[in-house]
Amino acid sequence: MSENLQKTLAEIARIEKQCQSLLVTATNLQELEKIKSDFLGRKGAVQALFALMGRVGADEKPHLGAALNRLKETLQAEIETRMASFQRQPMAIDSFDPSLPAKLPAMGSLHPILQVMDEVKQIFTSMGFRVEEGPEIESDYYNFEALNIPAYHPSRDMQDTFYLSGQHVLRTHTSPVQIRTMETQKPPVRMIAPGRCFRKDTPDATHSPTFHQCEGLCVDRGVSFADLKGVVQAFAQKIFADKSMRVRFRPSFFPFTEPSAEYDFSCIFCKGKGCRVCKNTGWLEISGAGMVDPAVFGFVDYDPEIFSGYAFGMGLERIAILKYRVNDIRIFFENDIRFLEQF
Amino acid sequence: MKVTLNWLKEFVDISHTPDELAHALTMAGLEVESVEKIERPFNAVVIGEVISCSVHPQADQLQVCRVAMGASEPVTVVCGAPNVAVGIKAPLALPGAVLAQNFRVASREIRGVASHGMLCSEAELGLTERSEGLMLLAEEDARIGADFNAWLGEADYVLDVNISPNRPDCLSVIGLAREIAAVSGKKLRRKEIVLATIAGTITDRIRVVIEDAQHCSRYSGRYLQNIHIQPSPYWMAYRLHHSGIRAINNVVDITNYVLLETGHPLHAFDYRQIAGQKIIVRTAAADEPFTTLDGKRHLLDAQTCLICDADKPVALAGIMGGLNSEVREDTQTVFLESACFEPIHIRRSSKKLAISTESSRRFERGVDPNGTVYAMDRAAELMCELAGAQVYGEAIDVHPVVVEPQIIHITTERINTLLGTQLTESEILALLPRLEIECTATEHDAFQLKIPTFRPDLSRPVDIIEEIARLHGFDKIPFSIRASIDQSQTINERIAFQDYLRRLLAGLGLRETLSLSLVSAMAAQPFLPQGAKVVELLNPLSTDWAVFRSSLLISLLQNTAYNRNRQSTIQRFFEIGNAAWCENDSHREKKQVVGILAGETHEPAWYDRGRAFDFYDIKGIVLQLLKACGLASVRLEPAADSYWSPESAALWYENTCLGAMGRMDESLLAAYKIKTRDVFAFQIDFDVLYAHHLQHRLFVPIPRFPSLPFDIALLMDATIPVGDIETAIRQEGGPSLAGVHLFDFYQGEQIPPGKKSVAFSLTFCSRERTLGDEDVTPMVDHILTHLKAHFGVELRPR
Ligand SMILES: [Zn+2]
Repeated sequence: MSENLQKTLAEIARIEKQCQSLLVTATNLQELEKIKSDFLGRKGAVQALFALMGRVGADEKPHLGAALNRLKETLQAEIETRMASFQRQPMAIDSFDPSLPAKLPAMGSLHPILQVMDEVKQIFTSMGFRVEEGPEIESDYYNFEALNIPAYHPSRDMQDTFYLSGQHVLRTHTSPVQIRTMETQKPPVRMIAPGRCFRKDTPDATHSPTFHQCEGLCVDRGVSFADLKGVVQAFAQKIFADKSMRVRFRPSFFPFTEPSAEYDFSCIFCKGKGCRVCKNTGWLEISGAGMVDPAVFGFVDYDPEIFSGYAFGMGLERIAILKYRVNDIRIFFENDIRFLEQF
Repeated sequence: MKVTLNWLKEFVDISHTPDELAHALTMAGLEVESVEKIERPFNAVVIGEVISCSVHPQADQLQVCRVAMGASEPVTVVCGAPNVAVGIKAPLALPGAVLAQNFRVASREIRGVASHGMLCSEAELGLTERSEGLMLLAEEDARIGADFNAWLGEADYVLDVNISPNRPDCLSVIGLAREIAAVSGKKLRRKEIVLATIAGTITDRIRVVIEDAQHCSRYSGRYLQNIHIQPSPYWMAYRLHHSGIRAINNVVDITNYVLLETGHPLHAFDYRQIAGQKIIVRTAAADEPFTTLDGKRHLLDAQTCLICDADKPVALAGIMGGLNSEVREDTQTVFLESACFEPIHIRRSSKKLAISTESSRRFERGVDPNGTVYAMDRAAELMCELAGAQVYGEAIDVHPVVVEPQIIHITTERINTLLGTQLTESEILALLPRLEIECTATEHDAFQLKIPTFRPDLSRPVDIIEEIARLHGFDKIPFSIRASIDQSQTINERIAFQDYLRRLLAGLGLRETLSLSLVSAMAAQPFLPQGAKVVELLNPLSTDWAVFRSSLLISLLQNTAYNRNRQSTIQRFFEIGNAAWCENDSHREKKQVVGILAGETHEPAWYDRGRAFDFYDIKGIVLQLLKACGLASVRLEPAADSYWSPESAALWYENTCLGAMGRMDESLLAAYKIKTRDVFAFQIDFDVLYAHHLQHRLFVPIPRFPSLPFDIALLMDATIPVGDIETAIRQEGGPSLAGVHLFDFYQGEQIPPGKKSVAFSLTFCSRERTLGDEDVTPMVDHILTHLKAHFGVELRPR
């Protein structure tokens, strides 16, 4: 081993020791940065040692090269380890205050009624129903006639209607969408029609002249009332995420269904035991349903001897009121930010 | 329909408690809205008879009476009622009794005369809210000294039943009793009518001619003489009262009572007023005047069906009698009408004349055409009993249209298929006869049904299926889960796109609102397209809600004002919904996507004071939205509509206008009482956006080579839009120009007047290789040369 090589190796050992002792005494990241540049920088001590390669003969070069590389790697690793230990600690301890308020990005939100509508759409879509829509300004024909509600029939009194000129009305239900769908599509039909409806009701805690309904329809061969009960019960259990939800059907009357029913959900507040909300009945009235009246099929050219179907409705405000325990329907349409930001 | 429980009990045995009965009826489709006990808030009241009366020595208005009360000695009672007289029977409250409103009766001296009890009125007993004079008990069974409460009979309840329009038969006590019988499996008790008549020829007294057989299918009538008009007995007045009908006199009350009992409307004419001994049923002449018994004068149209005598109309058929022929105090002879009128006709006339009566409500739903005679004879029987009437001769029964019971054929299979049940033939045969439907098995599992004429709602097999389901119980129908799947079912893309936009806008920091569609005409006016009119309601609730909104901006401005009035300083809203207007007399509905920013970007905060919203905030939201819909290159042009301030722009995509955005017009904001000027909005036509949105995205490879940035600072004429320069840079930059970003904009000191300074950061990137300065410099030079030549833009030394 040449003397030059020995001297250089000793120098390497010294540099390594010097660096290590400096690392031990370093107290902050800035000092470490300086050590890093003093030793590993382009003009640092290690680079300077590489310049000494010329001192040794060609036979000793690989030996020295390996030693230098080892030094470089060792110091690099040690500096980084030390740096990491500092970096994990906050840098400017005295000025950092995590309790200062966050810089909140502007938050958007979806309206609670329409969130309920989204859920309803999702549930029925998962059961094979297609979502349909129709105009809010409807002709008398679609809103009444084709739903078996002829002019001068007492069943027109069941809904207070807003009339427009030219035999038009603001639709009182989304049932006209059923007719429009059946006009263009042959059975099987499975659809829901969520949307805005209008009735001439003076606003109070339970009435609004504008409200939202979702109507459902299924027509095929052999569709039965038992199918209707099944689908409504499945919906009840999904929308309230409660497998124990029960559904009750009571006979009723609608011109466009026969048999007609009102359906109730078991009270979500008392689980059907009876409470103030359900007036101790254990049931909450939801909406109407029934088997499509053959007269309606007559208007859309379906053969009632071959096809049967069920239809059901529901008020989205009603479901939202139960879901969110809102006590006044009007709050949905006030659009107070303090209300909207809760959902 | 309101009815007392004890009345129903006359026709059917009821073993249910009132609440159980209400539940059973509700579950059979007759929704009972309420069951209320009829209170008798008194005790210690007996039936007394006044045996002597004398004027109180100290007070003219008071009488000192001796009142007999059976076994014990008569008592002395001071009474101020106007109808107190010797021989009357009335409820007597004894000392210690408690009456309505907790009034306590005690022996006391009334102006020097000791009074040991109190003769009572109905109001004092709490039986009615108001009454005049003592309650007189004319009934023979009102035994002196008997307990008054016991005499009133067993406790009673009022049931309020909501009758759907298809069940006219249930607008009667008998009809409801029939349902109760059907539901509980009991038997309906019909009343036998026993009518004594005086021999005579009815046509000597009156003849009936139906000229309008289209509207009147049957007209029955009776002639009753020797009538004594007087108040009805208590039991009748009581039942009418609890059914919501005011007692008038025995004859009128009987027609109302029988209407309630049978569901068949009747009318009693004062025979004296019927000219020419003749009743003619005809249609009115156009504008024929007629005054109904409520004193209102009506002008009729040529379709109204009238009941007339030889000279004049005497009643609006099926709706209301005339003032000229009503029964009065001195009426002695009555012609009793029991007819059947056509439902649609009655409905039309009733709506047109705005008269709704117990009678018209029943006729418009359809009464039993074969029920006229029973109802008429029941009323005649009661008139004999309660008004001393004599029935003269036979009944009149003109019957041009005879309605036969309908026949329906049905099979067990059909019933079970529609209901999803497994009912047997014998189960079905056990149910239907309860509704008085006659069933004959024609072959195995097939029936022929004969439908009573009081059920006009049963005309098809499906109607029968409903009856079976109802009586069987909806509860007993199973819940089925069908697994069949329709493979052809598709997603509604338009609705899915709308939901996508809603989520995008919420993601862009806007809150979704849901507003009423109705606004005032004044609010709608400014937003109407050229030449359009508002969609006006013919019957609005109020002027504030008189027309359909012509733009969703109205809703968002209202929502903004609402929140600003409640100390909120920042509004960021959006709504998607329909606006509408009238064009060439037809209604046009348009779905709009609308957003608004009002007030400040954020509350003043420790790190930033915040600032007022500006045009570029709304532009940012709109461009992000459009970009997410795949509409990258949108052109801005001046917005024409007056609801935008000059700080606004219309949005164009290719040759279509998507909508507009910008600052809202100041006078419009003032109309909404919004005090800030900083209100920015956008309005986009949903269907235009839907038509142009990118439905299917294709992957664009990410460049493999690094990009090279190059900044340029330019000095340009203040009048040239920056957008023009940006577009020019993009056009001239060549295929390697990957990005143009304005990072500085300045106007003011150090800049020559009429000029502005802009700085762009250009990014170059090649798909083939790494670019160097030597590649980019000529491209930039080309851009700068072009900008100088076309816009006079100079490179600004940095
Ligand atoms: Zn409950």
